[in-house]
Amino acid sequence: MTDDLITYAEITWCPGCGNFGILNAFKKAVKQLEKKGIDREKIFMTAGIGQHAKVFDYANLSGFYGLHGRSMATAQGIKLANPELKVINFVGDGDAMGEGLEHVLFAAKRNADISVVMHNNGIYALTTGQRSPLSARGYRGPSTPWGSEEDPFNPLTLLMEAGATFVARSYSGNIDHLANTMVKAILHEGFSFIDVLQVCITFNNKYQEYNEMVEVMKTIPASHDEALALARKKDRLPIGIFCRVDKPAHHRALYGDWNPAKKRRTRKQRINKLEKLLLSV
Amino acid sequence: MKRRVFTFLVGGKAGEGVKKAGSVAAHLLAGMGRRVFQMDDYQSLIRGGHNFSVISSSTGEITSHYMNADLVVALDARSHQLHKNHLSDKGVLVFNSDAEGKSQGVGIPMTSQAEKYPQPALRIGVSAIAILVSALGLDIKRMHALIEKEYPRDIENNIAYADSIYDHAQPIIGGRFPLNPGDGEKPILSGNQAMGLGAIAGGLDVYLGYPMTPSSPLLHFLAAQAEDFGLAVVHPESEVAVANMAIGAAAAGAKTMVGTSGGGLALMDEAFSLAGMTETPLLCVLGSRPGPATGVPTYTEQGDLGFALNKGHGEFPRIVAAPGNLEEAYYLASEMLSIVWKFQTPGIILTEKHLAESRMTVDLNVQEAKWAQPKMHKTGKYRRYLDVADGISPLLFPPSKEVIKWNSYEHDQVGITTEKAEIIAQLHDKRHRKNVAIIKYLKSLRTVNEYGKKGPVIVTYGSTTMSVLEALKAGGIKARVIQPVFLKPLPVWELKKRIGSTPVVIEQSCAGQFATLLRDKLDIEPQAVIRKYDGRPFDPEELARQIKEVI
Repeated sequence: MTDDLITYAEITWCPGCGNFGILNAFKKAVKQLEKKGIDREKIFMTAGIGQHAKVFDYANLSGFYGLHGRSMATAQGIKLANPELKVINFVGDGDAMGEGLEHVLFAAKRNADISVVMHNNGIYALTTGQRSPLSARGYRGPSTPWGSEEDPFNPLTLLMEAGATFVARSYSGNIDHLANTMVKAILHEGFSFIDVLQVCITFNNKYQEYNEMVEVMKTIPASHDEALALARKKDRLPIGIFCRVDKPAHHRALYGDWNPAKKRRTRKQRINKLEKLLLSV
Repeated sequence: MKRRVFTFLVGGKAGEGVKKAGSVAAHLLAGMGRRVFQMDDYQSLIRGGHNFSVISSSTGEITSHYMNADLVVALDARSHQLHKNHLSDKGVLVFNSDAEGKSQGVGIPMTSQAEKYPQPALRIGVSAIAILVSALGLDIKRMHALIEKEYPRDIENNIAYADSIYDHAQPIIGGRFPLNPGDGEKPILSGNQAMGLGAIAGGLDVYLGYPMTPSSPLLHFLAAQAEDFGLAVVHPESEVAVANMAIGAAAAGAKTMVGTSGGGLALMDEAFSLAGMTETPLLCVLGSRPGPATGVPTYTEQGDLGFALNKGHGEFPRIVAAPGNLEEAYYLASEMLSIVWKFQTPGIILTEKHLAESRMTVDLNVQEAKWAQPKMHKTGKYRRYLDVADGISPLLFPPSKEVIKWNSYEHDQVGITTEKAEIIAQLHDKRHRKNVAIIKYLKSLRTVNEYGKKGPVIVTYGSTTMSVLEALKAGGIKARVIQPVFLKPLPVWELKKRIGSTPVVIEQSCAGQFATLLRDKLDIEPQAVIRKYDGRPFDPEELARQIKEVI
């Protein structure tokens, strides 16, 4: 059977790359969403620049392939213009935690209704393995042959403190868990963020480490503090939803149930109002 | 009969209501059916310093303020010092006698009278209106009505205060400047308002902006109009976010505009290129101020011309147009929104603080605005970057059964990334062909304005056009003024017919960027380039003298 969620683009990830797991999980998630009544035509994907972003070319879905670090902003613009779309923003850890950090934090702050899926391989893979903002201290890459002299961010605590209303971690090696987490993130109205632990087979191979340390959480932590403590754990890597909060999404807080791209005022309505406005300015 | 211009100048500290008094004066004069031009000179601060507002008015068209005023009201000592030489032949200066005791001019105790009421410092601007009403010989009832409308907080005390100032002024300057009424009241708009309204009329759905003078008032104005016109107006974290969000909004089908000044546009540079590659309609209002860097935030300059013409790395069609007056700002905003959607490429409305923030009476036919209508996909298999003859691929917006892929990488017609040599060249060609289509379309528009029938040729653009036209009136100079509205692509087909080989070029730039552009594109050598780059707009009388020196 042909896979109608895949395009004709030639796949150029390394064999064994964690991105395959993420793409497969996404395809599963799309099918699950369709069963829940969300048509794939309403799904609009965006991606930054990096190995992660090739999902844009491979997935046979509508979307916008943005700039490195800026696709979170583009994603928010799409949602703002037409809130009936489910906007899924694939980002890399270099992309979202480096060049684009401001946009991710602000998307969380304003509770923009987009779902950010962060392919976290801890390095810049497409540009040959330099350290990322999430690389461990001591990581040796071509830009830090001496071993990285900086500590990494913790993306989960960062996003929770920024006000993200849905924060989860998953693993590219657990496709079902990742697919389910994606579905929950996309159904969450408001900003959702999934930190996907992703193996880079070529520059940062953590298969064994992740397989030993990853552990599925049974429940959502009861409090913000508990969530932060779990997210900070170094001896184990809990995966699952760390926090899920109900709060009005940005577009609703801004304009209620309006839709700027669809419910536009007609030319005639605008001209009539303008004529009245001119008399009062 | 000599054309009579009446000019009123009010100066004081920031926080004393100088700008407000200027705007009330403008409404008073416009209410007499006269044409009005108001220029606010203010500093980048909230309290203190020196601000002034100057309003020139005539029974006929007027396109600039004059720096020599008939009536100057100085609310503080510094304003007195700075503006005592800004008087016309029969000009009168009224100063605040509480601020400096005995001095030249007419002293009125503005502060001590204000101190009879709560919050005297905020009230003092009202005195300027009382003095103006007295000097114009208008009925005191008119003043009361004006104050009720324009100073609605604490009306009673404001009227009592205005009465006391009026009573001081009346015996000395009462009825000094009787003015003829004009031919009917016209609305007063700022350039920012005119552009905002034009964009709304043209189909604007989303506006994004990060505060930056002189474009912040455009953000404020559209935010205030958002609900009424069904707009989404957002102030995000940075200009980088503004531009990238705008591109997303446009890709989802919303007619989107952004506004900023030079520094903010610099931050949008990468996104401009993204709009070029992805063929996203992106319209930006660039309100110029003196640069480089932070420059002089609240003043005016045309130093961003070269920058605007070359926004974004890489090769793609760019469109830049500059309105020459406030009415044109309205029409052009709608036209530019329509153009960027027609050709799916980024465009800039290039303007300056002098146009964006000055206010004048306008004669608008709001119906004449363009309505943005892009070429849409009809039926069949969709390809976002379909290679068609004019390079303009039909648009389709999500949600759709068809897959719509916008791509910042070089891509094939579907929108999937490519590195294949023949496809790279093919898509480059496709985008490049839009330049031909753009020029073909521009040839159907009025891309150059020409004023005057005889005399030497003056070439100018943007807000400087207003200064030049007023200078010709002020100096009784006969000249032909040529103003290209579009600067990229430059309508050489029109300019070559009109300019001749040695025009006078007038612009607000130190390097003479506009003259350089004309030299490069038209192979001409201006006989003179009159430049001003001290942040202040031209004064028509001063400019008239400069023009006379070179023609």
